[in-house]
Amino acid sequence: MSRRHNADRGASRSINYSASPLLASKTPMWRSKFIVAALAVAFAALAGRAAYVQVFGNDFFQRQGEVRFARTLELPANRGRVLDRNGLILASSVVAQGIWAIPEDVDKANSKLSELAELLEMPLTDLKKRLENEDKTFVWVKRQVDEPVAKQIAALAIEGIYQRREYKREYPEGEAAAHVVGFTNVEDRGQEGVELAFNQQLSGKNGSRRVIKDRLGRVVEDVRDVIPPLDGPDLQLSIDSKVQYFAYQKVREAVLSNKARAGSAVVLDAVTGEVLALANYPSFDPNRRRNLTGEQLRNRALTDSFEPGSIMKPLIAAMALERGMVKPTTPIQTAPGRIQIGGSTISDSHQHGVLTVNEIIQKSSNVGTVKMAMQMQPREMWETFAQAGFGQKPQLPFPGVVSGRLRPYASWRPIEQATMSYGYGLSASLFQLAHAYTIFARDGELIPISMLKNEAPADGVRVFSEETARAVRQMLQMAATTGGTAPQAQTMGYSVGGKTGTARKQEGKGYAQNKYRAFFVGLAPVESPRIVVAVMIDEPTNGAYYGGVVAGPVFSQTVQQTLRILGVQPDMSVKPQIVTTFVEESF
Amino acid sequence: MIRLNLVLLLGVLVSAFYLVHIQYGSRQLYTALDRSKSQTLKLDAEHEQLVVQKRAQAASARVQQLATRELQMRQVTPGITEYVSLPDATATEARP
Repeated sequence: MSRRHNADRGASRSINYSASPLLASKTPMWRSKFIVAALAVAFAALAGRAAYVQVFGNDFFQRQGEVRFARTLELPANRGRVLDRNGLILASSVVAQGIWAIPEDVDKANSKLSELAELLEMPLTDLKKRLENEDKTFVWVKRQVDEPVAKQIAALAIEGIYQRREYKREYPEGEAAAHVVGFTNVEDRGQEGVELAFNQQLSGKNGSRRVIKDRLGRVVEDVRDVIPPLDGPDLQLSIDSKVQYFAYQKVREAVLSNKARAGSAVVLDAVTGEVLALANYPSFDPNRRRNLTGEQLRNRALTDSFEPGSIMKPLIAAMALERGMVKPTTPIQTAPGRIQIGGSTISDSHQHGVLTVNEIIQKSSNVGTVKMAMQMQPREMWETFAQAGFGQKPQLPFPGVVSGRLRPYASWRPIEQATMSYGYGLSASLFQLAHAYTIFARDGELIPISMLKNEAPADGVRVFSEETARAVRQMLQMAATTGGTAPQAQTMGYSVGGKTGTARKQEGKGYAQNKYRAFFVGLAPVESPRIVVAVMIDEPTNGAYYGGVVAGPVFSQTVQQTLRILGVQPDMSVKPQIVTTFVEESF
Repeated sequence: MIRLNLVLLLGVLVSAFYLVHIQYGSRQLYTALDRSKSQTLKLDAEHEQLVVQKRAQAASARVQQLATRELQMRQVTPGITEYVSLPDATATEARP
């Protein structure tokens, strides 16, 4: 009874959810109101939050959202190729894979690891050592792995081993052109040679794109316009890879057969001023990253300077001719093969007696040269040497190019002026010597040198008159014949002219007794020179050390092949060894 | 009135589903396009690799080695070269 009463009383203070008194709720009124109010507050909070998310904090949430599905992809630019003058590839970037690992995820007991080690050509112990440190989350296993090998590695499907696309530079000419082309590091940035000198130009500019990726990592949309990558343009050098290879091969043979320390050769196009070849031995294979250190990296033709010795004599003869002091046939007394200058004695290796200027160059007489030089002012000599490029850096965009040494004339003592006339007391690189000889090849003009292809004839700066240059060329030709210092420099079919040099090497303050440098600088064909070739062999120790004997043959063969490759017809009659009678062919 | 509303609602629904469908299709196509593009890059890279390989096979060092060792060829000298001049006035030099 009392229950009923209670229910009735409750009904009067609460909401009736039903008409049936049996179902009458006993809920008190305040509770319902409380629930309604709470719901209202909750809705208001939601509305507030919605307003905050969509209006006030919109930027933040947009950004956060984007971070979670939008990705910026880098579009790597291809590094430009390095080509030779005929468009043949000297260096090109190809895709390779960098193999990396998360050490923790790799099962060290996995039998496939030994297969991986084999594919990577590294000992299994080395591989395991790399994967030892489990704290690291990223370890390079090996970089720049060739694509076919990388595919096999991917096929092994080892957990925790991943690949990353990168570039590898390939150098098809290998060690023959290594010093010219140089090489890049693992990041595809130039480290040496042309690769370094023209790095900026070759590199290109990376592009990028911002995309939305879906759950599976597929690109489904571009968020903004794609910035396309700007590939590095190809770089065409003046080098002719055939001439380059040939010069390299001949230098190499000469260094090996003379048991020398090193050797270099430079071939210049005397018409356009282009560098056709620049070879050094010992060299290195730029494709094998392991041996990219040490002495063999040096581009000796440009970075090593030395006393040029007799190579300077034709310059003195040219100066004497130019000033009208002598004619090519003027006799000069060189007996008794010695001359005293300020208490020092300068002597010839052989006694010659009276020699004409022509013969002084042909026989390379120190005494004769000194006699001509001592009639000149130090300033005149200095000016001509400087005009010929001595003491100045060659205008080549190359790392480590040396300027050589040419002291200011004011400080020259008479004995120094005398020794400089036959190439001691100043220094130059082989490249500078070759460059200086373009004066004789170009009828008295020094032409600018280019590493890049440039087919237009170069405009030179006049140093000597045309007649002087021609007269000196005759002397150079005489030097390269029987009776001269370098009959070995002659070559079949082409007339050549050149000067030998044999210089003692400096050691400490004095000259070493048995250490020499042998060189030969010359041009061909003599009448209208097309090329200038300079060869240097450092410390030949196999008996012979004279420039003519050691460097002459390299010059001869290089000239022969280069002129043939350039399509220059022989200017000297050759005894043909061709059978000219026609044979009737039958099928 | 209700009928019109229902028709409109249906219209909105159909349009919405169609939109979703089209969006899906467009993403599929975009993915395909992207894949094709990366395929292009891959093939380009492979092409470059092959070009470089071909060039390496034709490098002077290798050619000379093969020519002298396997084909017993020898270096050309002017002594065994017959030089001919082209009758054309512009070509004064003939390559051997």
